[in-house]
Amino acid sequence: MPNIFTRSANRVPLQVILILLILATTAVAAVWYYYPPQYTRVGYMPKQPVLYSHKIHVDQLGLDCRYCHSYVDQSGHANIPDSQTCMNCHSQVRKDSPALAPIRESFESGKPVEWVRVHKLPDYVYFNHSVHVNRGISCVECHGQINEMTEVWHDKPLSMKFCLDCHRNADQYVRPLDKVYDLTWKPESREAFLKQAHERVVDWNINPPQSCSGCHR
Amino acid sequence: MIQDFQQSSAPGGQTTGKSYWRSLDELADTQAFRNWLHREFPQGASEATGVNRRHFLKIMAASFGAAGIGLAGCRRPEQNILPYSRQPENSIPGVPVFYTTSFPDAVDSLPLVVETHQHRPTHIEGNPGYKSYGGSTNVFAQASILNLYDPDRMTASSEGNNRRISSAEAADILGKVANKFGQTNGQGLAILAEPSSSPTRARLVQQLKQQMPRLRWAEYAPSARTSPDKALTQALGRPARPVYHLDQAKVILGVDSDFTLHEPGSLALARGFAAGRRAKNQADAKNMNRLYMAESAFTATGAMSDHRLRVPTSQIPAFVAQLAAEILSQSGGDSGLASQLREQAASANLDEAWVRECAADLLANRGHAVLHAGSHLPLATQQLVQAINAELGAVGHTVDYVELPQAEADSIEDLAQAIEAGEVETLLILGGNPVYNAPANLEWDRLQKKVGQVIRHGFYYDETSLLSQVNIASTHYLESWSDGFTYEGALVPVQPMVLPIFEGVSELEVVARLGGRQTSDVYALVVETFGSYTNEANKDKAFQRFLSDGGLFEHRFQSINGRVEFGSLRNALSQGSFQAPSIGSNALEVRLKMDDTVGDGYWNNNGWLQELPDPLTKLTWDNAILVSPKLAEELGYDTGKGTFLIGGISKKQNNFVRDTEVSPVAEVTVDGVTVRGPVHILPGLPDYSVTVSLGYGRSKVGRVGKNTGFNAYPLTHSKNFFARNGAKIKLVGEHYPLSNTSQHWSMEGRAIIREANVEHHLEHPDWVNHMGMESHSPPVYGNAKDMPLQEKSLKQPRGNSLYEHPDFGSPPPNVDAWKKEGAMDKFVPEQQWGMSIDLNTCVGCNACIIACQSENNIPIVGKEQVAMGREMHWIRLDRYFSSGDLKQNQVSLPANPQASFMPLGCVHCENAPCEQVCPVNATVHDRQGLNVMAYNRCVGTRYCANNCPYKVRRFNFFDYNKRNVDELYAGPLGTNKYKTEGGTLVSMQRNPDVTVRMRGVMEKCTFCVQRIEQAKIAQRVKAADSNDIRIPDGLVRVACQNACPTDAIVFGDISDADTAVSESKANDRDYALLGYLNVRPRTTYLARLRNPNPKMPDFAEPFSYQEYFGKGGTEHQPAKGGSHGETEHGAETNAGHGESHESSEGNEHH
Repeated sequence: MPNIFTRSANRVPLQVILILLILATTAVAAVWYYYPPQYTRVGYMPKQPVLYSHKIHVDQLGLDCRYCHSYVDQSGHANIPDSQTCMNCHSQVRKDSPALAPIRESFESGKPVEWVRVHKLPDYVYFNHSVHVNRGISCVECHGQINEMTEVWHDKPLSMKFCLDCHRNADQYVRPLDKVYDLTWKPESREAFLKQAHERVVDWNINPPQSCSGCHR
Repeated sequence: MIQDFQQSSAPGGQTTGKSYWRSLDELADTQAFRNWLHREFPQGASEATGVNRRHFLKIMAASFGAAGIGLAGCRRPEQNILPYSRQPENSIPGVPVFYTTSFPDAVDSLPLVVETHQHRPTHIEGNPGYKSYGGSTNVFAQASILNLYDPDRMTASSEGNNRRISSAEAADILGKVANKFGQTNGQGLAILAEPSSSPTRARLVQQLKQQMPRLRWAEYAPSARTSPDKALTQALGRPARPVYHLDQAKVILGVDSDFTLHEPGSLALARGFAAGRRAKNQADAKNMNRLYMAESAFTATGAMSDHRLRVPTSQIPAFVAQLAAEILSQSGGDSGLASQLREQAASANLDEAWVRECAADLLANRGHAVLHAGSHLPLATQQLVQAINAELGAVGHTVDYVELPQAEADSIEDLAQAIEAGEVETLLILGGNPVYNAPANLEWDRLQKKVGQVIRHGFYYDETSLLSQVNIASTHYLESWSDGFTYEGALVPVQPMVLPIFEGVSELEVVARLGGRQTSDVYALVVETFGSYTNEANKDKAFQRFLSDGGLFEHRFQSINGRVEFGSLRNALSQGSFQAPSIGSNALEVRLKMDDTVGDGYWNNNGWLQELPDPLTKLTWDNAILVSPKLAEELGYDTGKGTFLIGGISKKQNNFVRDTEVSPVAEVTVDGVTVRGPVHILPGLPDYSVTVSLGYGRSKVGRVGKNTGFNAYPLTHSKNFFARNGAKIKLVGEHYPLSNTSQHWSMEGRAIIREANVEHHLEHPDWVNHMGMESHSPPVYGNAKDMPLQEKSLKQPRGNSLYEHPDFGSPPPNVDAWKKEGAMDKFVPEQQWGMSIDLNTCVGCNACIIACQSENNIPIVGKEQVAMGREMHWIRLDRYFSSGDLKQNQVSLPANPQASFMPLGCVHCENAPCEQVCPVNATVHDRQGLNVMAYNRCVGTRYCANNCPYKVRRFNFFDYNKRNVDELYAGPLGTNKYKTEGGTLVSMQRNPDVTVRMRGVMEKCTFCVQRIEQAKIAQRVKAADSNDIRIPDGLVRVACQNACPTDAIVFGDISDADTAVSESKANDRDYALLGYLNVRPRTTYLARLRNPNPKMPDFAEPFSYQEYFGKGGTEHQPAKGGSHGETEHGAETNAGHGESHESSEGNEHH
C-alpha cells in the first residue's frame, strides 16, 4: 500500500507552527505598535468650528493661558472659555470676521460653541490640572508647545506610561512657579535646571502618587 | 433635556404596569412609542427590509462609513466640549458648589448642606453649623435626593381624565376656587394638609383663615409627630413642646420610644444620648448614662438599652401608671393617687420588681433623670410621663418646655364628619395620601368620592390622586423656596438649587394663590417672613447671611415655666385611661408602626430605602408580621417537619432556603378586618404582641414600590391607630419569599462584638484584649508589639506574618530624587488613613449606609438579587442577638435577647488577604495604607471576595447601572437605561468623582478615596512652593462619618498621634475584629459597654460576654475559682485561663 502522505507532509506540522508563530508575533507587534495612544492619539487634529490659533493669541499677542482657561489653577478641569471671553476683544477687534461668526452667534443666542475635544483621558482617570500647575508642572509638559500651534493637535501620548514616567522622575520636570505658564521658557542649561528641579522636589516635598488611588477612584 | 421630559411624559398616573425602569415613553404611552410597538422594528431597520435595493445599499454604505469614522486610526468617537455662552458667576466647571437648605418636616426640619455639580444636586449632608445636630442627617433626608430624580414623580399637573394642564392653568383653577369661596367666606371649602413647621405657611394659612373665616383647615399625617406637642399643649393650656437634653441625663427611661431613630428631634436625642454614653476614658465610663426601655416593638433604641422590659404598647399606659405609683410612694407623694394608679396598672401583670427598682434609680438621680414617651402613645399617657418628669425634677434640666407659635387645625376626623354631613363642596388636599393612610374606619376613599371637587397637590400620582379631579404636581424641596423650624426652634431656609426638573408648583404657592395672591414669587414671601425674625436694619443682607449660614441657629422657641401635675390626670384616671386590655394567645395585640425604612409609605418608591435593611429584622423590600418566638411556636410551626429546620443547624429560626427566607403567610384579623402577610420571627417582642409596619402594599405607586409588602393600614382605627387589641392570627398554608440580608442571629459565642459591664471595665481596663482568639495566640506584631500605633502604621513591621511589607515611611524605591544626599532629611511621609468605630455610641440608625450609597454611586439590585446575597451596600450594619445561655445544639431563638450593632465596611487590612489572591493586581495597597480597587483591571474572578474574612467585597453580577432591575437576565437584549429618559434622569444624581462600575467588577468601601485625594490636592495647591502638604486633622471627613448622628465613626491620619482617630484608637476598648488573623485592619472598634443597675431583677453580664465565656456545651456555671469550660478553649494559654476566671466572677451578681 502506498503511503497516503508524501514525504514532504512531514514538514507540515512544523510549517503550521512556524506560520502560527509568525502570525502571533505579527499580531502582538501590531497591537504593540498600533494600539497605544502614542500611535492612536498623537497627531490628532480635528477641525474646530472656529479656527482659533494659539500661535496668534499666545505667541504673537502674549495672552496668558489663564485669560481663557481661567480656572485651570482652581479646578481639576481646565475650562474652555465661554463666548463672552472671546467677545471681550472681538466685539472690537475683527468684529465682522466671518471666521468668528459661530462665536457671535453663540454670544447672542446663548447656545454653546461646539468645540471638538482633542485631549481626552479615559473616564476612569481623574486627572487634576490645579495640582499640577500649582506645583511647578508647565502646560507644555502634557500639551506640547501649544503656543506654536495654529490648530491644536494632540502632541503627547497621555498614556499611563507617560504619566508614570513623570510621576517617578518629577525632579526632571518641576519648574519655578512663575515659569509654569511661560511656555517659551528655556532654562540656562539642562544641568542647572536638573539641579534646581531636584531642590524644588525635595524642598516642596513633591511625591507624585504612583498608587492606583492617585488617579483611579 | 428639561424640555424633552415635559414633552414626552404624561402624568405619572398613566403607568401601565411595567415595573422598574423602562423608558418614560413607554410609561407615557406616547405616539412615538405606539408607532414603535406597531412596527416591531425601529424605523431605519424596517426600511432596509423593503425591496428597494438601492436604498438598502445606501444605508449599508452609510453605516460602513460611520464605522469607518470610528475605526480611522482606532480613534475614539469625536466628542464635543460645550462651554457656557456666558459663564455664570461662582460656577467653576469641575468644582462642586454647596448650598444650604433644610429637609422639611412637620416638627423638625433638618438643616442641610447639599453638594451640587454643575447645578445638579448629588449628595446631601447635614449642616455642621447647627451644633445641636452636628452636621448629621437621617436616612430619609439622605435618600430624599433620589426622589428629586424619580422618573415616577408626577411630571405634570392634570385635570379630569388625565388631561395635561400647565402650571398657569393650575394656578387659574386655584384662582377660581379662591374667588368662589372668597364670596362665601370659605363656606364649603376644606383643606387637608400635612403638618408643617414652615412659619411662612403658618402665616399664609392665618391670612387665609382671616379672609375665609368659615374655611375648614385640617391637618393629618399618620406618623403622629405632632402628638408630644399636642399632649403638652393640652396639659399646660397653651401651645408647648417638650425639648429634651439627654446629654444632661444620667438615667433615661424610654417609654415605648424609639428616640434615637424616629421620634421628633431624634438627631439631637441620639446625640445627647451618645454624649452621655461616650467613654473616652475611665472617668467617662464611670459617669456613663443608663438607659431603661419598656417597649413593644423591638427598636434600635431598645437594642441600646441596659435594661429592656417587653411591654405590649396597649399596656404601656398601665406601665406608666405603675411607675408613677412607685415614684409617688417612694418619694412620699399622694398615696391615694398612687393606689388608684396601681389599681389600674394591676390589669397589666407587670414585673413589679423591675418597675420598683427602675423608679428607685430614677428618683436617686433626681434632676438628672428623664422619661421619653413614644409619640404614638395616648395623650394621657404622655401627660402622665411629663408629670413623672416634673416629679423627677427633670423639667428645666433634662427636659425644657418651650412655647410654640399658635396654630390651630382640625383633625381628619373633624373633616370626615363635615364631609359626611355634606358641608364640603371643594376639598383641597395638600400633600399626604389620605386614601392610602387615613385611619381605616373613616373610609376615606368613600368620603373623597362624596366631595364635589377634589383638588390634589402632591409629589406622586398616588392612591389619592386617582380619586381627585385636579392633580397639581408639586416641586421637590430642592427645587422650591420655603422655610421651617428645627425641633428646638432654629429657623432654617428651604432653598432651591436646581430649576424644577418638571413643571410644578410649590405648596406655598398653592396656599398663596388660594389667598387670592396673583404672585408666584414665593421667595418674596419667605423673605417677608424672615424679616420678622431679625432685628437687623438691612433685611436683605440679613437674609443673605441666613442663606449662607443655612439658618438662624441662635433662634430658639421661648422656654416656658410650667409643669404637669399628677393631680391633673385624675380625670383621665377616672375614665380608665391607664387600664390595660388583656392580651393573650387568643387576643393578641397588633402594634402598628411606621416602617423604619419607607416611613408612612411616602418613601415607598425610593429604591435606596426599599433596599435598606430594617435595623432589627434586616428585611428589605417587604414588611412582615413580626411575631415572638413563643407565638411562632404556638402558631404551629412543626419543627419536626422541617419548616424551620435548616440543615439540622437552626431549629425554630426563620427558615432559609439557600439565601431566601421562605416565610409562612399568615392572616391577622382585628374586628373583622383581615390583612395577610408573611411571618418573620423577631426575638424580643412581647409574647403576644405582633408588630406590623405600615407603609407597604401601595396600590398606586411607581415602578420601584410596586408589589412590595402588604398594606396594614386597613387595621388602623382613629381611636387606636398604633395598637389594636383582640387580634387573631392564623397561618394560611402558603409561603412567601423574603429578602433578608442577615440569615443568622447569633455570634455563636465568638468575640465579634465585645461587650462588658461598666464595673468590669473599671476593674479590668484591658478586658477587651483578653477576649478573642488573639488573646491566646502569639502577638501578630511579634517583637514589634509594643511599637506605638503611629510607627506601626508607617514602618509596617513584619511581625508574625509571612511576607515583608513595604515601608510607608520612606519614598517608593523607584524614585531617585530622594536617594541623593541629604534629601531624606526633608522627606514627609504619606499620611496613613484609619478609622475607629465606637460600638458604644452606634445606635444602628442606617444613616451611614444611605450616605455611602449616595456618595459612592452604589446601585440597587432588586429583591431577587438581595435574596441571593448580592446587595451592593459598601457598609452593612450587622445585628446580633445574644441570650447568654447559648448551648451546643440548642439554637432556638431566645425570647428576650440583647441586640448589638456593628457597622462593617472594608476595614482596609494592612495585610490584606484579598490582595494576595488577585491574579491581575486589581486590588493592591497604596502608600497611604488604603486597600484600593482598580476597577479597570478587575476581571471578576471573585477570588478576593472569597478570601475576605469580613465578607465586605461586593461583586457586580450584572450591569446594575445600565440594566433595569427586572431585566437583569436579559443582558444586552434588555433596555439600556442610559438611553432612556428615566435612566438618564436617575443618573443625574451620580457623583462625578466616583467611577460608575459595570458588570463583572468587584467593589468595596474605598474610605471615600475621592474625598481624600481632593483634600490632598487642595492642600498641595495651597502649599504651592512650600512643603506644607499634610492635611490637618478633620479636613477629610468620609460620607458615613458625616452622616452619623452620634459621631461613632472617626476617620483620620493614624500616623499622627494628635488626631482624633489616634486618640480614639488609644482607648482601652480598642480592638480589631478578627484580629487573630493577623490581617491588621485599619478600621478598629471600641468595645461596647453596658451599664445595668445591679439592683434590677434582670441584672447580668452582657449576654454576649456570657456566651463567650460560657460557650462550650458544658453546663458551665461560673463559680469562684471554678474551671473554665475546657472543651472550647483547648488552645488557651494560662494567661487566658486566668482572665476567664476573673470574668467568671463577674457573673456572680447573677
